[in-house]
Amino acid sequence: MRYIYRHEMKQYWKTLLLWSVCVGGMGMACILLFSSMQEEMAGMAESFAAMGTFSQAFGMDRLSIATLTGFYATEIGTIHELGGALFAAMLSMTMLSKEEDGHTSEYLFSLPVSRGRVVWMKWSVVCSCLALFHLLCMGFYGMGFALLGEGIPGKEFWLFHGMQFMMGLELAGICFAVSAFFRQNRLGVGMGIVLLFYAFNLVSRVTPEMEKIAFLSPFAYANASEILSGGEIAAGAAALGAAVLILGLGTACVKYVGKDLG
Amino acid sequence: MSGTERIIDIEQLTKNYGKHRGVTELSLSVEQGEIFGFLGPNGAGKSTTIRAMLGFIRPNAGKIRLFGKDIRQHREEILAQVGYMPSETMFYPGMKVKEVIRLAAGVRGLDCGEEAAMLCERLQVDTEKRIRELSLGNRKKVSIICAMQHRPGLFVFDEPTSGLDPLMQKEFFLLIREYVDRGATCMLSTHVLPEVKRYCDRVAIMKEGRLQSVEPVAALTRAGAKRIKWVRDGIWEEFLYEKDLNELYRELEGHDIRELLIEEPSLEEVFIEYYRT
Repeated sequence: MRYIYRHEMKQYWKTLLLWSVCVGGMGMACILLFSSMQEEMAGMAESFAAMGTFSQAFGMDRLSIATLTGFYATEIGTIHELGGALFAAMLSMTMLSKEEDGHTSEYLFSLPVSRGRVVWMKWSVVCSCLALFHLLCMGFYGMGFALLGEGIPGKEFWLFHGMQFMMGLELAGICFAVSAFFRQNRLGVGMGIVLLFYAFNLVSRVTPEMEKIAFLSPFAYANASEILSGGEIAAGAAALGAAVLILGLGTACVKYVGKDLG
Repeated sequence: MSGTERIIDIEQLTKNYGKHRGVTELSLSVEQGEIFGFLGPNGAGKSTTIRAMLGFIRPNAGKIRLFGKDIRQHREEILAQVGYMPSETMFYPGMKVKEVIRLAAGVRGLDCGEEAAMLCERLQVDTEKRIRELSLGNRKKVSIICAMQHRPGLFVFDEPTSGLDPLMQKEFFLLIREYVDRGATCMLSTHVLPEVKRYCDRVAIMKEGRLQSVEPVAALTRAGAKRIKWVRDGIWEEFLYEKDLNELYRELEGHDIRELLIEEPSLEEVFIEYYRT
């Protein structure tokens, strides 16, 4: 089975590198820009902290954008969570459907390998690419901190990226399941799912009536400001995320193994 | 394997795509060592049958056994002994030919380097080229290599020669003959009637999802209509005649017959006759 795994990794390594360099590089560039923007940030920090519900929603009542950690949480954290989520969706939305979309399914499935195994190999590739993406981005951010002569923000940094990886897996699991129903690549659907969850997370943070259902979005438990300000992880949302991931993988497997290949 | 072992055994296969018909109550068998032709116009159900045989689609009813084993229960075990070439030959565009060939062998857990090199040489395939650089004919050749390199017991080819030049078509059939002589079996779905006539032992004719006939190629052209050519009352006529020949002789009484030829129809004519009725 290593042949299929290796083959899929080869298909995606350029995309992986491109996304990692774009998201990680952009994050690193922002970190490096921080020292030149520090004075302006100090002015902005007070206004940001006084924006009531908005300040609370984005953790700016606890973190100051004038500090590197606060800047990292609000700016780089947002770039990373959106970039990572879109990468997860793009990867998982095409992983299964690309065989039928590219008319390669007859080549692949005429080989003596079960569809179930192919699904698991492809999911392993999604996991590997996501893990490498986060590691590479963390490398870029770490480099940014080092070049500024600053230490990385300790265990919260690792926790944030761990939760981001978990969020990526959950979104990938949802998209993986959805893509099993399609015969063509539907990148737009994957992007739509991510943006919908992101928007839901934003709205539920600034709307007190929606606070109780905020946990429905995967973005709820991987918020940079909350984690980097030492706040607790939304354990309920994370548990729901794990359940959704398992359900997504189960659905993808059952659907893909049982369907007629187009 | 004994000479009469059934390699393909299909019983009452039915497959519908929603309201659309695929194949209806199809039963046929192919024995070891045969080159079996599978004829029919587009939409007759040939590809549906092949796709069900290889487990790509699930039949609504019926049983399919390859090498005596149920395809639903022993799919991987069976596919290890099958070489399949789809009609739509597509691979991953960014991969090199050698990578595609190696991937197919690797997933089978085999080192087919020697056989693949022989096939590449005979089919004149440049293994360093990328798939996206290949013409349809060259992609077909890569597909042939992937189907043959592991020396399977059963070949299933769906429209194999479209896109191949005449020299390569000849080489392809030579290769099939060699593998069949060594004990393999071949099922060939095609529109090209001369191929069937020249290379197949038996032929099945499909029409609108149903099997119309399974016969040795020679018997198919012998049975049924005759091609009549004559010069009657000074006029040259040529036509297919399906009734009792005695009636024809009676019809000729009182006419001036200068020439009379009664021939077996060509396979093309038989084929067209099947679809006219």
